[in-house]
Amino acid sequence: MASTSGSVGAEVTGETCSSLAKSSLPPPRPKSPPEYPDLYGKRREAARVQMLEREIGYLEGEIKFIEGVQPASRCCKEVSDFVVANSDPLIPAQRKSRRHCRFWKWLCCVPCLSLASFCCCCQSECSCHLRKPKCCNCTGCNCAGSKCCDGSCCSNICCCPKPSCPSCSCFRGCCCWCPDLSCCIPTCFRSCSRPSCLNKKSSCCSCNCKIRWSSCFKCPKVRLCCCFCNCKNLCSNPYCLAF
Amino acid sequence: MSVSELKERHAVATETVNNLRDRLRQRRLQLLDTDVAKYSVAQGRSPVKFGATDLVCCRTLLGHTGKVYSLDWTPERNRIVSASQDGRLIVWNALTSQKTHAIKLPCAWVMTCAFSPNGQTVACGGLDSVCSIFSLSSTADKDGTVPVSRILSGHRGYVSCCQYVPNEDTHLITSSGDQTCVLWDVTTGLKTSVFGGEFQSGHTADVLSVSISGSNPNWFVSGSCDTTACLWDTRAASRAVRTFHGHQGDVNTVKFFPDGYRFGTGSDDGTCRLYDLRTGHQLQVYQAHGDGGGKLPVTSIAFSASGRLLFAGYANNSTCYVWDTLLGEVVLDLGELQDSHKNRISCLGMSADGSALCTGSWDSNLKIWAFGGHRRVT
Repeated sequence: MASTSGSVGAEVTGETCSSLAKSSLPPPRPKSPPEYPDLYGKRREAARVQMLEREIGYLEGEIKFIEGVQPASRCCKEVSDFVVANSDPLIPAQRKSRRHCRFWKWLCCVPCLSLASFCCCCQSECSCHLRKPKCCNCTGCNCAGSKCCDGSCCSNICCCPKPSCPSCSCFRGCCCWCPDLSCCIPTCFRSCSRPSCLNKKSSCCSCNCKIRWSSCFKCPKVRLCCCFCNCKNLCSNPYCLAF
Repeated sequence: MSVSELKERHAVATETVNNLRDRLRQRRLQLLDTDVAKYSVAQGRSPVKFGATDLVCCRTLLGHTGKVYSLDWTPERNRIVSASQDGRLIVWNALTSQKTHAIKLPCAWVMTCAFSPNGQTVACGGLDSVCSIFSLSSTADKDGTVPVSRILSGHRGYVSCCQYVPNEDTHLITSSGDQTCVLWDVTTGLKTSVFGGEFQSGHTADVLSVSISGSNPNWFVSGSCDTTACLWDTRAASRAVRTFHGHQGDVNTVKFFPDGYRFGTGSDDGTCRLYDLRTGHQLQVYQAHGDGGGKLPVTSIAFSASGRLLFAGYANNSTCYVWDTLLGEVVLDLGELQDSHKNRISCLGMSADGSALCTGSWDSNLKIWAFGGHRRVT
């Protein structure tokens, strides 16, 4: 459409265009995005303030409370009086004669019927283990004291069928923990946590890493290796592996 | 109110809180006119002296194939449950050393275990963030797998400690890495109360340990990585009754004193402390000297029946100091006795009648210690 203000056939110049543009809407200019109200941040901040103001109330109450509190010496007296007034099986009073020692020794050498007889024979070849009426067959067993067959004897290596399983324990008829008796190593269960365990079919333990974690979580205070079989990132805390 | 106004109020409130805490700390210092050790010395208390064979290892419980992390006694019947890195709970007859149950756990990363008051169920928890309940009357398959009776789920972090409420088989309390403690109804599996949390007054870091009062089961104390211990009343969960300051490191373990009005703590700062519940006073600090300046973290504690002895396990090979709580002195180290553990002692537990102490260790064993001689105490 020919401009009415310009000569016919004249080249349309920028000036001509700008005059045309001035007569219409102003050119769009980029604007900053609108400031939406930060409701979440405001509410969170308000909650924190409320929590602090509540804490102020509690602290003021605590200061009032402590005005009427007894000094520590009264509490120390209560502790001392309690300790002295109560007997303690681990700190018995002295017995007057050696007959008592014989009594404890006799009691130690019969089947214990109560925890009160959880004593050990003094001056006995069975110094740290009670003499049992029945001993398991401890031939070749690593029992402490040759004539004193502790009840736990059967849980020791004498029952494990495989000499190569020195660290395995026995339970109810000598079964080692590991399903594969040829490989009883203490680290059997720990190795299940390694990522490579997933693809191993027969290893020393059944590495069915059934626990699925969607992501590694922060190492807890106890410094656990928190990443399981399908977790790609090992915790950077070197103590993680100490669990 | 605008965000900037809120931030200004926040700053003012923070300063007020700090000033009030300072005033409280100063006032408490004024009330600390003595401690238990000074008082006992002034009273002329004689020290406890142990002979070489007075406290001995009477039983070694063999069976776990990994580090033992937790143990608990039954209130009666002389049984112990232990939890280990090998992913199993084992129930032991403490007298005969025999295993009565070996439960393979669905999650091997267990951190805590507890016996119910009636001795018929055990609870455990760990990295799976749930507390699992097992009935000991359930039949295990040949792998030792026992079906879970109940799962208490709801924590958003690992379960570090669990304990049944005394004389209540239906309620237990857990502590967690999510900074809260929870009172559970085991029958329904639901939370009864939550103690602490993001916008509630309580711990501000992982909670590592709980101990429930035997004389008043509505009270329990918790220890946390925020270096404090808190006293809670289960009837009012909105905030801690009292917060106990003093430690300079994570509070790893808490245990009630036998009288029910005091409790002990063990911390990464290498000290054990005795606090008074009702006044909030710190009554005694038990700090070992030597071995790194007494900075060995304390992993677990237990009191003897009278409270005269405090057993404390430390984070090095087998050290377990026996403290005379009245005089504040170490009277024995179980780690130096015959048949002691070969690695760190991670958990301790006193039998209900106080006649035996059980220790659990990273050497995969549990040991039972009892009195083996006679001694005079005046």
